[in-house]
Amino acid sequence: MSPRWQHLQACSVIGAAHRRQQKPCQDASLSVELKARGGSLQLLVVADGHGGSLYRLSHRGSALACQVSQEAVEQWLSSTPLTEPERWRQLLAQELPAAIHERWLAAIAADWALQPDAEHEPFSPLLYGSTLGLVLLAPQWWGCTGIGDWDLSAIDQQGQAALRSEEREHSGSEATGSLCQELDQQLWGERTQLHPLEPKTDLQALVLSTDGVRKSCATDADYLQLCAALLDLRDRQELEQGLAHITEAGSGDDVSLAIAHRASQPRRSGVLPRGWRWLLLLLAASGVGLAAWLIPRQETPLQAQARQLCANPEQIQATLNQRRAQFKALLEQPQLASQLQQLASTDPLGALIAASQSGPIPGCTALNAELSRQWQRARAKAVPAKGKMPAAAAPAAAPRNP
Amino acid sequence: MPFPNVRLSNRPLHFIYLCDCSGSMAAQGKMQALNQAIRQSLPGMAEVARENPEARVLVRAVRFADQAAWHLAEPTPVQQLQWRDLEAGGITAMGDALNLVADALQSPPMEERALPPVLVLISDGQPTDDFDAGLANLMRRPWAQKAVRLAIAMGHDADLEVLQQFIGPEPSGRGKSPRRPLQASNATTLAQYIQWASTAVVGAASMPASRVAAADAGAAANSPANIPLPDLPPTLLDPSDDVGPLVW
Repeated sequence: MSPRWQHLQACSVIGAAHRRQQKPCQDASLSVELKARGGSLQLLVVADGHGGSLYRLSHRGSALACQVSQEAVEQWLSSTPLTEPERWRQLLAQELPAAIHERWLAAIAADWALQPDAEHEPFSPLLYGSTLGLVLLAPQWWGCTGIGDWDLSAIDQQGQAALRSEEREHSGSEATGSLCQELDQQLWGERTQLHPLEPKTDLQALVLSTDGVRKSCATDADYLQLCAALLDLRDRQELEQGLAHITEAGSGDDVSLAIAHRASQPRRSGVLPRGWRWLLLLLAASGVGLAAWLIPRQETPLQAQARQLCANPEQIQATLNQRRAQFKALLEQPQLASQLQQLASTDPLGALIAASQSGPIPGCTALNAELSRQWQRARAKAVPAKGKMPAAAAPAAAPRNP
Repeated sequence: MPFPNVRLSNRPLHFIYLCDCSGSMAAQGKMQALNQAIRQSLPGMAEVARENPEARVLVRAVRFADQAAWHLAEPTPVQQLQWRDLEAGGITAMGDALNLVADALQSPPMEERALPPVLVLISDGQPTDDFDAGLANLMRRPWAQKAVRLAIAMGHDADLEVLQQFIGPEPSGRGKSPRRPLQASNATTLAQYIQWASTAVVGAASMPASRVAAADAGAAANSPANIPLPDLPPTLLDPSDDVGPLVW
């Protein structure tokens, strides 16, 4: 029997340059487990809004791209057994791109209608331009599709990473395929793959990333080694911190990663694996300051999360913006609060948000003020506001410790 | 597990001057004005580089007269650059200069992760060699296709047609555009253009936004540049500007 997909994580972090310029994060990401007949399907999504004045609502475009991708996959999942990989191959190449594109256009049109500029400016999908990469992980196969300059790498059981999908080069600078173009099945088809998983498959993990990650590495070899080293991460917090350092020391662009792991052997907890220790040393030696990674953790996960946020108050808003759908979900499903708090070690930020629903939490004023503002926004708005989709809106989709 | 030798890096931004050093540049203080303008622009360029740490601004320069040669061969961090004066004398081997830059824009030596380079061609005359072959050779390089290509015409004898070919298709409509040769008719205007290229353009190229491939869905039809270029500084083309007398 082949090992299950597990240890899913997805995270988007605002780029160092965007933070300095006080621009929103234009990346979004999602990892979620979807129930299917006879099993479950895992979904990883990353989306990268183009930014720039032509695409000034692309941060909303990327968030909506993640949302509609999940909806489109769920739609097909209800009628298509996972035991029909050839049918899923066809879906990935044809019906799913068309469904996602159609849903995305409808979603951004609805979003545009709420914009103040809609009264005096014609609607254009360009405003919301975004790339989209998605990976489906079934018990017996995995597949991907999408459009734009995202990258997908596979890591084998020996820890070697190989690039499995990348966009072909365009002649224009920083040019990429986009959801805001007319649907081009060929462009989606070039990024479509489906691979059966043999019982003794060598595949250990898949890493999906937006272009900011690869562009932060000096060479492709460095990028692949980074992908392999990412598997040693213990939790989402380390992933967020790692991404923040990657953009700081690299391209300055927004960065997103979504990771799915098939390793069946349990990982040691509380001890940094060797590969990641070396990476930490390397980054620290380059002056990017990773001391915070090595702080002994004697406090609760929620306290540690609050301390971390309060240490960088300028990042509080961007961090909480990533969880706007989680605020909304908590309002709609109050029972989620207790579930999230029980999973504090897995998703401390989710637990912190859940705890804040009933009042101020132990922490700084800036954190409680921003939490209060997020709750007000969630109560006022039904559509995800500018920012990013959450990596995990509900505990079922939260990253898990192995 | 082998040591993950991961090198994170900011992205190099290559800024290359292609400077006409033909004999005519000696007249009316043009060579002196060009040297002065480049030298004076360096502090501003260094400041822009400091404000955009995700880009590593590296400057090079080609001189062309009887033949082309690297005046500043090593990609030099702008903060460390000491401008050495160019000297005029000879004819105008502009095509040869394009060949030289074409060689430099191959990968390698160009880094995989480099930002689109900025090429600034400055001339006061007409090419005396095979310009078309040089341009064709240059434009075969993907990095040249991605590059921001600007041209400055010094004086009324400059060949605006070849400079436009270097930049690319002329934009539709009339009026000022960085996608047309910038016409400098005196030292003041030249200094403004050099300053603009080395600060505003470098700033835009340091953190380029992604853009939709191919036709850009029509919205970019009026702005075919790879990187959206900032507004031009005021010049003599604008009657309201006061930039001094017409000299060249």
